[in-house]
Amino acid sequence: MSAEPVRVLVTGAAGQIAYSLLFGIAKGDVFGKDQPITLILLDITPMLPVLGGVVMELQDCALPLLREVIPTDKEEVAFKDLDAAILVGSMPRREGMERKDLLKANVAIFKSQGAALEKYAKKTVKVLVVGNPANTNCLIAAKSAPSIPKENFSCLTRLDHNRARSQVAMRCGVPATQVKNVIIWGNHSSTQYPDVHHCKVNMAGSDLACFDAVKDDDWLKGAFISTVQQRGAAVIAARKLSSAMSAAKAICDHMRDIWSGTPEGEFVSMGVYSSSNSYGVAEDLIYSFPVHIKDKQWKIVDGLAINEFSRGKMDATAAELVEERDTAVTFLSA
Amino acid sequence: MPDLADPIRVLVTGAAGQIAYSLLYSIAKGDVFGKDQPIILVLLDIPPMLPVLDGVVMELQDCALPLLREVIPTDKVEVGFKDLDAAILVGSMPRKEGMERKDLLKANVAIFKTQGAALEKYAKKTVRVLVVGNPANTNCLIASKSAPSIPKENFSCLTRLDHNRARSQVAMRCGVPADAVKNVIIWGNHSSTQYPDVHHAMVNVRGKEVEAYDAVKDDSWLKGDFISTVQLRGAAVIKARKLSSAMSAAKAICDHMRDWWFGTLDGEFMSMGVYAGGNSYGIPEDLIYSFPVHIKNKLWNIHDGLPINDFSRAKMDATAAELVEERDTALSFLSQ
Repeated sequence: MSAEPVRVLVTGAAGQIAYSLLFGIAKGDVFGKDQPITLILLDITPMLPVLGGVVMELQDCALPLLREVIPTDKEEVAFKDLDAAILVGSMPRREGMERKDLLKANVAIFKSQGAALEKYAKKTVKVLVVGNPANTNCLIAAKSAPSIPKENFSCLTRLDHNRARSQVAMRCGVPATQVKNVIIWGNHSSTQYPDVHHCKVNMAGSDLACFDAVKDDDWLKGAFISTVQQRGAAVIAARKLSSAMSAAKAICDHMRDIWSGTPEGEFVSMGVYSSSNSYGVAEDLIYSFPVHIKDKQWKIVDGLAINEFSRGKMDATAAELVEERDTAVTFLSA
Repeated sequence: MPDLADPIRVLVTGAAGQIAYSLLYSIAKGDVFGKDQPIILVLLDIPPMLPVLDGVVMELQDCALPLLREVIPTDKVEVGFKDLDAAILVGSMPRKEGMERKDLLKANVAIFKTQGAALEKYAKKTVRVLVVGNPANTNCLIASKSAPSIPKENFSCLTRLDHNRARSQVAMRCGVPADAVKNVIIWGNHSSTQYPDVHHAMVNVRGKEVEAYDAVKDDSWLKGDFISTVQLRGAAVIKARKLSSAMSAAKAICDHMRDWWFGTLDGEFMSMGVYAGGNSYGIPEDLIYSFPVHIKNKLWNIHDGLPINDFSRAKMDATAAELVEERDTALSFLSQ
């Protein structure tokens, strides 16, 4: 075993999603099975005792790659010299809370964390924002860390991407890995657009266009889309808790693909900075696009044909993001 | 897509619960049975938990895992135990406030008698059974006795969590990664009488294999606080988290099952609660007792011939005595 340990931060580290996530990271599933890790766990002060329990459990897992675990409630400790940051923690919506209040509270958090990244982290740090509203929180963090390239910031839409793959796969009776190149466009919210116009399904040895494999255009343009959009709520209704297991899996997929690249011919969905995009999506947003990744750099997959149906949905989710951004930015300057 | 094997059928009970939630993903991902082994995952829980179980099924689908051929949620033993290759029995009656130990044993005897009988009736005779639900050793014994035509060697209980905890404590003390510590032993009951023994453990210090007592250089710690820390670790985690150790328990379950499936490395042994019949360490027969084992071709063998000093002897006997008492109480319920 070779390398210098990578320093990886997880925020909201005492919470549900982190509990499902930390093991996958510490085991080597994300950064590679020969890559030692220094894992930094940040949460708010009242959660420090719980965090102590999580640290005990990580020790009890007896994992060879886990060089060190650092629990903390201090940003100057958490963000120091980071190679990767997974920002899971955010202010959750409470009963009676207006959307504006939620945005305001989260702008405060992600402005502070962006500034901490700017001040303490390596300039090469890769930042994945999970805490909702993920796209806007990510944008605020990026704007608060001006000397870190905007390309280093992304938000999670991989869970929606995996859900879309899985729905198509179950419909076609194939394993989910035989469904490639679904796209999630836009906001990680109920306006997201799961698009399978460019998706391929491997059935009986050959690659079929998704619409031909499924043979149910109504479903693909109707219930399929709403199922993926509302899957999070369906899981909460059943479990009484949100989707920690599948969210953690998606986080690992997203981060692993940033670290090791995407396979030839395949693209994945990531919320990334929309500037200079060729799809007519407004600039200065974090918007989910289809991307290839190589050498830890993502590139939007250009040149995909966009029909009217898709155009309408891509624009609707962009409009929501513009509104969120504009509200958030007013709080940023307040 | 490469040619993959026929799927194996794996049951997890208590499937809507906390430990299962940390465990199912690793199983479905291939970390236990191999990355080319497709799996049919059968999830059993009690009827009130079926809606929650549906949520778990949704999430497993949303993980988009290639090896997961099918997920079958159920509350029926005839569905749960059918044609199984492996069974991980996590579900058990938890201790409720005011509950006496006897009541806990009685409730669990009922559960594991039923599940043992279901294994006997529905599962393959080659099924490997790992009992996790506490009291694990005694629940395992009851299940085994209720499945007379399945070899007793196919039943085991989990002490790998204690084993991993012991490794980790020694590793942290020596400033080495946990996998640099080998051949710790957990003897006996998965309870506070367990005996974490490092007399035969080795620590890799800067490339050299050193006996644990020489690497640690603190005999009173190894014979005192080290032991109580490992014995009481479960309670320490509950106190901090307000929930029990799901993440580390799931990891230990995966380690135990994976080693059973693929074998242990040369020169290394692991801790498993197994049938004590024919053991050479003077432990009473007819118990499920944690021993150091080698595993090859899905068969475990107790590592014989380790010298046992007075200190160890007393602790091994104490935990055996507790198991004898538990067994006798449980058997009295079994015959009712």
